[in-house]
Parts: sequence; structure tokens; C-alpha cells
Amino acid sequence: MKEIVKIAMALTISCLVAGSVMGGVFMVTAEAKKRNQQQNRQETMFELIAPELPGRSDRAAENLSLHSIYRYIIQDNDRTDLGYLAPVEQEAGVVYEMWVLDLEGNLIDRRRLGLSPETAMEKPDRDAAVTAALGPGQQARYADTMIIAAANGERIAYLLPGEFSGFKTFIHVMAALDADFNLLGLEIMDHEEDPGLGGEIEKPYFKNQFKGKSLEQLRDLDVIKEPLPDDYRHFLEKTAAREDLVRIGKAYQDEDIHAIAGATISSRCVTDGLKRMVKKSVYRIKILDRVISKNHIPAAM
Amino acid sequence: MTPPLSHRTDRPAPATRHPRQPRIALLLLCLLLLCGCGADHRFVQKAEFRDSREIVITFAGPVDPAWAENRDHFSVYEKPDPDIPAQIDRVELGPDGRVLTLRTSEPISRDIPHKVVLEEIRSGGVSQGTAHLTVKKLYVGHLFSILIGAMIIQNFVFSKYLGLCVFFGTSRKKSTAVGMGVTFTIVIIAASMMSWFLHQFVLKPFRLDYLQIVVFIGLVSLTVQGVDTILRKVNPALFKAFGVYLVLVIANCIVIAVPLMLADNEYTLLESLMLAAGAGLGFLIALFLMSSVRERIEFADIPESFRGLPIAFVVAGLFALAFMGFSGMTIY
Amino acid sequence: MPATTKTNKQLFVNGLLNENPIFRLALSMCPAVGISTTVMNGILLGVAVLFVQVFSSCTISLIKHHIHPRIRIPTYTLTIATWVTVIDLVLAAYVPAAYEAMGIFVRLIVAFAIITMRLEVFACKNDLVPSFWDGMGMGFGFMFGMVVLGAIREILGMGALLGYDILGFRPMLFFVLPAAGFFMIGFMMAIFNYVETLYNRGRKERKAI
Repeated sequence: MKEIVKIAMALTISCLVAGSVMGGVFMVTAEAKKRNQQQNRQETMFELIAPELPGRSDRAAENLSLHSIYRYIIQDNDRTDLGYLAPVEQEAGVVYEMWVLDLEGNLIDRRRLGLSPETAMEKPDRDAAVTAALGPGQQARYADTMIIAAANGERIAYLLPGEFSGFKTFIHVMAALDADFNLLGLEIMDHEEDPGLGGEIEKPYFKNQFKGKSLEQLRDLDVIKEPLPDDYRHFLEKTAAREDLVRIGKAYQDEDIHAIAGATISSRCVTDGLKRMVKKSVYRIKILDRVISKNHIPAAM
Repeated sequence: MTPPLSHRTDRPAPATRHPRQPRIALLLLCLLLLCGCGADHRFVQKAEFRDSREIVITFAGPVDPAWAENRDHFSVYEKPDPDIPAQIDRVELGPDGRVLTLRTSEPISRDIPHKVVLEEIRSGGVSQGTAHLTVKKLYVGHLFSILIGAMIIQNFVFSKYLGLCVFFGTSRKKSTAVGMGVTFTIVIIAASMMSWFLHQFVLKPFRLDYLQIVVFIGLVSLTVQGVDTILRKVNPALFKAFGVYLVLVIANCIVIAVPLMLADNEYTLLESLMLAAGAGLGFLIALFLMSSVRERIEFADIPESFRGLPIAFVVAGLFALAFMGFSGMTIY
Repeated sequence: MPATTKTNKQLFVNGLLNENPIFRLALSMCPAVGISTTVMNGILLGVAVLFVQVFSSCTISLIKHHIHPRIRIPTYTLTIATWVTVIDLVLAAYVPAAYEAMGIFVRLIVAFAIITMRLEVFACKNDLVPSFWDGMGMGFGFMFGMVVLGAIREILGMGALLGYDILGFRPMLFFVLPAAGFFMIGFMMAIFNYVETLYNRGRKERKAI
């Protein structure tokens, strides 16, 4: 009996020590992890929309700023509405408001949330604010985020984070559209495709093929199994001679997407997923713009 | 698929006709589990995908052609995106008036559940109410595809390269291979289920995700110890046959990889069960294949430096190449 | 208690060559096959394993007198799991890109037979300093194996080394495929075996003279 007590004591103490070590490390790293993730994300976004402005000071000079719009789905028994959390200019500065839209895209209600852009970024805080603003019997579920980039007060780009199923598991991407909905670029954020095969989707020679495609082109974009021509590859990998860039770019402007050798399915997943993602987002952006202009909302974006 | 009993009647039945009859409720539950495409409206028998652009709806009775002609009565959207309606190209009513085909202008992704709204269904001049239907893949098919996926297409040994130490250690003889495989399957199913519950109801709600590793490895050890004790008491003969492999299970990284994957991908209970079973059976298959080859290699004339493990690795490489052929297969 | 008589240097070399975890002991093979596609992966996972091995060895050798013999293995597991969690959190926070590349394998270090084995056969019988060097040897041995495999596969598969294109073409794409990891290890083991036979034969002949 004494033996068992001794063993139990020893195990408890070791578990406590181990737990406090892990908890301590977690507390230290959680903060850093969040900061690094946010920083990386922001770097990726700037890289996508303004590759010619690498430094922080360059961006400040252009007044480059990002505004996030969060979309929630509001369920009220059988009725479904959408709640868009968007930044609005006020005397005190920029605050977030929730615009409740019905499924046809008509504004039903504007609710104040009193969220600053910084607190809106934190999902728990945001969720709590949304829940507080809802009526009785309503439930809200976070759907997605869309980011609008502005420079000197002009809208210059849309950034669309998204995910779709790839060959193995989900592929997380970030797509960038310019103000006329032409694709500025595509970045693969996270994926679990096979290294050397599907994993090649993150390589410039694949993802840069989407760059510069217009909305109409994207709609009919196909995946072809032909090998990538050499000059096009150099162009995509940015190793082509400077004087050839314009010529090659023009020659391959209408090219379909060349599948990665041995990973046609992954290539197709990315192409189709991107198509679907962009189509939906553009549809929503247009509705939001209509709502803003019709109701004269002083939106900060 | 047979329609649920309560859907078979042609006349509209009061909605609360069998609310407390447990047998029917159970039957409905079973049917719902078996065929996720079960319609949610009493006048609709089933709604399912066909081809890449069509959704087929079968009614309990003939509907009025005049109603079916008006395209405004129908709307289709992806369940997560209720605000974006799919364009409906064509609506066709079958000759007997019971089968309605909706064709969309753009291909439908079958992986995403779709909602179909039929406004004010009219049959024989009588309104049957509005139906909100969910169309999705057969749930059983989805589960089956997870099982086969984990077992063969994404075989943990040959496609994910996990559990290799134990794999090479116990694949020398067929009898050991089968013993190890069976024991492993049992343990992994038990351990994965427990870790699923613990993750869903303790770790996630209390934001203790960072304790995953410790908790899961602890659970695995616990399961092994538990199976050991139970087997020893309940069936000593079986314990004699399989007891030795129990200790080895802990050293197998698949047994810890599966709970981690379940936690990362937020699988549901049944999906988790299928993944765990698939992982276990896949390991069994891999062991069996490998041991069959290695039994023969024993008698082959192999260069001295290659004897033992090196040649086993080369064989495993050949198997892995062969299993690459499965990749990209979709079951359902 | 049969404490080791070897010097620290011998302990280190022992882990690096004689008892190399990958090529000689054939333990912890999963990452060696799965993600030894590039040198960088090898180094990173090597660092993680080195960290876990050294810290676990030191911890166990420090508390070896307080461990009740009946809960020896659970204590080892708990120690390893703790250090794995620590390195997992740290890597995820400070080098997210590299962490992504290694996927689930960092967390799977917890099931590495090599670490438990070193605790059982070495750290629980020896003092802090020899345990530290033993852990270093094993950790570097693992890293060495991973880097060698990674280098060969990266050069043959991608024509590059550490991400820099050195050949300008891809000699055999096959080597990037995970299946090639099996072949690579098989051949490397055979080479180690061959060298050993040659060495032993040479020694015997020298003795005969």
C-alpha cells in the first residue's frame, strides 16, 4: 500500500512539473506565434499587391493600408441573413459596424459594434461583439474574411484568403485581385500535397501562371497537360532577360494553366478552387459596393 | 435507396403524426445515417446529384407541370454560401410527373452539400408547402472513402511513411505479421476513439491544445495497458498469441499520428472511427504483403551486405512505388 | 551500476558512427524516409531531435535516483513528451515556415524508439556529463544521417543543394519521390555493412600477421 502511495506521489509530482514547464513555454510562445503569423501574413499580402514596395517605409509613403471585412452568417430559425463587419469612418476614428444584408443583397440593418480594427482582428473578441449585437433567437457563424487594400484613399486591390480541398487535404491560399478584378497573384499558404509532386503548387512556375488573368479569362481557364515551354518557365521564375519580359508575357497572356508533371489533380484542384473562390468574392464585393453607395455609408475602404 | 416509411404516403400527412414512436424514429435515424440524402420534406422522396450539373428530385406523387415550368419556384445554392444562388439552366419534369431534374449552368461540386428550395410545390392543384432540401453525397459513401483512403490509397506505411520501425521489426514471418496487425488495429481504434472524445470535450473547450502530445501518448499507453489486462483475464489463449505485440504498439508512430490527425482535421466521431480502422487495417495489409515477400527472400541469394534490413528497405521501396499507383483514386 | 568507462569523445563518435541511429540501429526511420528530401529538412528535424534527446537524457540522468523502478517507462514517456511539446511550440512560433515543411513529424518525435532506448540503456545509469555527450552523439548521428540522405536526394532529385541550384537540371526526379527514401536507406545501410566487413577483414588480417 505504501508503495502505491509513493508511486502515485512520484507520478503526480512529475506530471505537475511537466505541466508547468509546458504551460510556461506555451505562454511565452503563444504571443510570439501570433505576432509572427500576423506579420508573415501581412508580408505575404503586401508582396502580392505591391511587390515593387518591399520596405515598410515605401508603403508608408504610398499610404498603403489594409481593411478587413468579416462575413458572418446569421441564422434566425428558417431565415438566413448575412452580417458584414466593415470599417466605417467616424469622428473618433475608424470603427467596425455590422451590416445585416438579406440574401438578395438588400441592407436591413446597421448595427454598431464599437470594435476598433485591432480588436476586430481577434476572433474571440469579434465573435463576442457580434453575438452581443444580435437579436433574440439569432445565431451568427463566422464565414470568411476579405481584405481591401487602399493606397492614398484609392482602392487598389482585394485580398482573398481561402481554402479548398486539394489532392490530399485542404489547400489554403491567398489570392489578390486588382480594382478591376484581374488576378494580381496567388500565394499558397499551407498545404499537405506530396513533396516533389503536388507540393510543386507553391513553386513560382506554377502559381505565377495565374498572374495577370482577367476575370473573364479565369472563368474559362482550363488545365492542360502540355509541358511548360522553356521561355514561359523562365518568365514565371523571373529568370528571363529583362528585354524579353513584355514579349513573353504577351505571348502567353491567354495560355491555360500547365499542369505540374505528375500532379494533374493538384493542379486542377487549385485552378477550380481559385475560380470558385474568386467568382464568389467578386459577386459579394459588387453587392457590398451597391449597398455602400445606395445607403451613403461612410465606409473606410 | 428505399424511401423512409413515413414518406411513402401520397396524401399530406400531419407533420406531427409519429412524433413519439421510437421505432419509426429509430428507423428514420438509421436511414438518415445510411443515406445522408434523405429528403427533409414529406412530399419529397429523395434529392440527389447526377452528372456534374444536375440535381434530381423525386416526389412522392406527380406534381403539376405548370408549377414545374416556372423557374422562379426553384433555387439552388451551396450550403455554406446561402447568398450566392446557382444559375439554373433548365428544369425538366419526367413523364410521370414525379421526377424533376434541375440543370445548373455551371458544374456543381459534389463535395459541398447543396441546398435546394422548392417554393410552394403544387400537386393535383393542392399546395404542398415549400421544401428546403439538402443534397449531399451519401454519408456512407463518404465514410467508406475515408476507410479505403486510409487503408490503401493513403496507406500509412507505403504512402505516409509512418510506423516503419515496427513495420520492419515484425514483418519477418507471416504469423508475426498478422498477430501484430490485428493487435495494432484493435489498439489504434480504442486509442483513437478515446483521444477523440478527450480532444473534443476537454482539450478543445479548455484551450489546452498544446497538451495534445502528452495526453495522446498517455492515452495510448493506457489503452495498451488496458487491453493487456483485459486480455490476460478474459482470454489467456489469445493473450499468449498476441500479448508480445502489445508492448511494440507504443513504439509505432501511427498510433500517435492518427489521434493528432483527427485533432488537426476536426473529424466527426464516425469519420474518426473509419480513419482509425483504415489505418489499422492498412498496417495489417502492409505487414502481410511485406512478410510474404520477406519469407521468400530468406532463401534468395542476396549479396552479403544487403542481407537483412537493407534488402527489406529496397522491397519496401518497390511496394511504395506500386502504392503510388493508387494515389489520386477517388472511391466515391 | 555499470557506469560507462568511455570518454566523452568516444561517446560522441559512438552515436555518430558505430551506433548511428538511422544506418546502424535502424531506429526512427519514418522521418528518414518521409522528409529527407532536402538538406534543410534534415538539419531542422535533426536539431529538434538533438534538443529532445539531449534534454531528456540530462533530465533522466539528473533524477535517476528518484525514479521508482515500476514507473520507469511512464516517466521516460512523460519526459520525452514534455520536451517534444516544448520544441514543437517553439518551432511553431519562431520558424513557422520550416515547421510547416516538417508537418506532423516534429510531434512524432515522441514515438521515436531511439530516444526511449538511450534513456533506458544509458541515461538512467550514468551521470549528467556522459549522458549529455551520449545524447549529443545520438542527436548528431541522427542529424548526420538525415543530412546525408537529404543531400543525395536533393542533388539527384532537384539538382540543388540547400535550395541553391547547382546542377541546373534535374538528374533523376525519382529521388524526390518519398518512395525513393526506402531505396536510399537500403543502399546506405548496405554500404555501411560493406565498409564494416572490409574493416573487420582488414583487422583480422593485420592480427594474423
